[in-house]
Amino acid sequence: MSAEEAGIVKIALVSCGSEYSGVQPEFEEAAARVNAKFVFPEIDIASIDNIGKEFGLEVASGDLRLMMARAKAVVEGITHVDGVFITTCFRCAEGAIVRNEVRRYIHKHSNIPVISYSFTERTSAGTLLTRLEALTTVARRRHLLAREVQTGLTAGIDSGSTTTKAVVMKDNRIIGTGWVPTIKVLESAEEAYSRALKEAGVSREEVQALGTTGYGRFLIGKHFNAQLIQEEITVNSKGAVYLADRQKGPATVIDIGGMDNKAISVEDGIPGMFTMGGICAGASGRFFEMISKRLGVEITELGALAVKGMQEKVTMNSYCIVFGIQSLVNSLAKGSAPEDVAAAACYSVVEQIFEQQLQEVDVKEPLILVGGSSLIEGVPKALEELLKIKVLVPRNSHLIGAVGAALLASGYVEE
Amino acid sequence: MAKVFIYPVNSLILADLVERYGHKPLAVMNQVREKVTNISLDSPPVNITPEDPKIGLRYAAVEVPPGVRGRMALIGPLIEETEAAIIVENPPTNFGCVGCNRTNELMKYLVREKEVPTLEVVYPESEEDAREFVYKIAAFLESLPKEKDKVGEKKGEEKVEEEKAEGQEEEQ
Amino acid sequence: MTETKQEEITKVIVISSDKVLPVDAAMKIYESEFPVTVKETCFGLIVTGPADDVLEVVENIRQLDKNHIFVKDRGFPAGDERRCRASRGGGPRPGFHFLREEVKMLPAIGAALDELEEKEPLKEKTEGKGKLKVSDLERIIEAELAR
Repeated sequence: MSAEEAGIVKIALVSCGSEYSGVQPEFEEAAARVNAKFVFPEIDIASIDNIGKEFGLEVASGDLRLMMARAKAVVEGITHVDGVFITTCFRCAEGAIVRNEVRRYIHKHSNIPVISYSFTERTSAGTLLTRLEALTTVARRRHLLAREVQTGLTAGIDSGSTTTKAVVMKDNRIIGTGWVPTIKVLESAEEAYSRALKEAGVSREEVQALGTTGYGRFLIGKHFNAQLIQEEITVNSKGAVYLADRQKGPATVIDIGGMDNKAISVEDGIPGMFTMGGICAGASGRFFEMISKRLGVEITELGALAVKGMQEKVTMNSYCIVFGIQSLVNSLAKGSAPEDVAAAACYSVVEQIFEQQLQEVDVKEPLILVGGSSLIEGVPKALEELLKIKVLVPRNSHLIGAVGAALLASGYVEE
Repeated sequence: MAKVFIYPVNSLILADLVERYGHKPLAVMNQVREKVTNISLDSPPVNITPEDPKIGLRYAAVEVPPGVRGRMALIGPLIEETEAAIIVENPPTNFGCVGCNRTNELMKYLVREKEVPTLEVVYPESEEDAREFVYKIAAFLESLPKEKDKVGEKKGEEKVEEEKAEGQEEEQ
Repeated sequence: MTETKQEEITKVIVISSDKVLPVDAAMKIYESEFPVTVKETCFGLIVTGPADDVLEVVENIRQLDKNHIFVKDRGFPAGDERRCRASRGGGPRPGFHFLREEVKMLPAIGAALDELEEKEPLKEKTEGKGKLKVSDLERIIEAELAR
């Protein structure tokens, strides 16, 4: 991190009661870890009376009106901040409505990066870290994110919860790849990286810069002495628009990972809004793995099977990974065809992404689908049917994080 | 002396009047004090820790958001001590521990459920209103037993019936 | 729990008086030599110290103009970092706005207390007071309905 990047990032905390929920210290800890500081925007008390009218949203809770007033203070520059973190209690409808509208308001009226989150009393600093890291990165490293071409010889490793991916890139081309299941974080990273290096025919010493991302980014970043250690929101946004060759203008990136999903609204390759799901594994790669097992097919064959089926023929009455699988097994027992069950599984996942993630993120075309699950052909098909828009799955879409990391790492080659 | 629950729980006017008439206001400030001066806790700013929303489960189920339960961990114990209550309707916009309307609805409900002498008044908006407001509160506080052992004494009961007949103050 | 000699408490004194200025009240406390911390604010004073001392100080101040000086408890000690604007990164503390609203109403509350004191030996004549209240209540009901 350069001196310029090391400065403290000021984040406006727009919340209705994190300090009454026992999570405030977790917020502070996560902020401190990314060298950010929360500030509480100054407001004009008179604005509280009219704020409901201004938003067209009149709510009963004073603290929610205070959130709107604080957002207004940020947009109008009364309080100068580098980013905004909007958060309300999980399961509060009034809070959720205000949280979403306030986020849209800031996005519409300013260029300040915003992320939103709903917390429970169990929210930990770890959970918040990725979000704050992404927020501070956007605030801090706009110049790095402007990079559109990979230069020199660089590598990226994406240590995901289910699989570890590695790529070696040279002069804007992928010359080696590795894709292994994540068993032990370091060993799997070693293996994926070694495979990529071998395929590329280069040695570790020749690689000019390395970037790491994913769940294990800190551990492997330290182990391999990476130049860039970066959360996956920023990296995947960059990787997606790079692979899909849509680096300019708006785009929406949906990443279906092994354990959680991300929906990111991107502008010129820079993430604006995003949501991360992680509450249920029923909408993740893990679900597909389990379904493949029950259907007795390899996960690589599941997609082709799903494309042949019709999801309408199978009733799925739960998004839960346990009950969802049970539903599908029941359907099989009642005589449903495996291809219909596979199609239903794909549809269930995208439906859940639609209901949980896309509600908070504007869907602007092109929609770029990435992550291992994007290779299951039934998934983009189901997503297209659901959203009625064309879904783009770029080549090497499963290597998204590693490619993004290698691309961004090339920013360190010249240094 | 009666322990009087006040709503808004942080009201200067209500806390002052209750004390002025010789009773004890059950104000949230004292709960906050207990929290923030307890040096064994370190969860700034108000020292509400993840344990508090669990304490709040006494008042609301787990499906109720943590912000409500955390606030109830502060306010619930006050409701348990309540011997009388003054509830002001339509107070000005309120933030912080009373910034969540769901919590406020719940706390007022729990107080009414207790069936202790309760005065419900509207927040004054003019001088005239303010006079009525003070008179009502003064009369209500006067009607409450000064000593604990005088609860239910004759005079108090008559007063109570009269108020009920007028249908303005809720007294159960 | 913490071990304490005597419980420390904090009171907010809001002065809405023509006769007493916050600075007068503060001076009176300084002169009294009670071991309390006093902080002047735009509304009055914040007093922190051992419970007995604070209660006595507050009562003394209140007596300067008892119907126009108002008191409530405060959770945080005077100048607590966790509530200080400078250290918590701007924005007034949550209770501030409501206090400000209430302060606007204090002259009227004070006037009502004065009137109550003049007219009504309230403690003896609760019955009479009750009758007076009925008409007041009717008027309020009518006023409310007419709105």
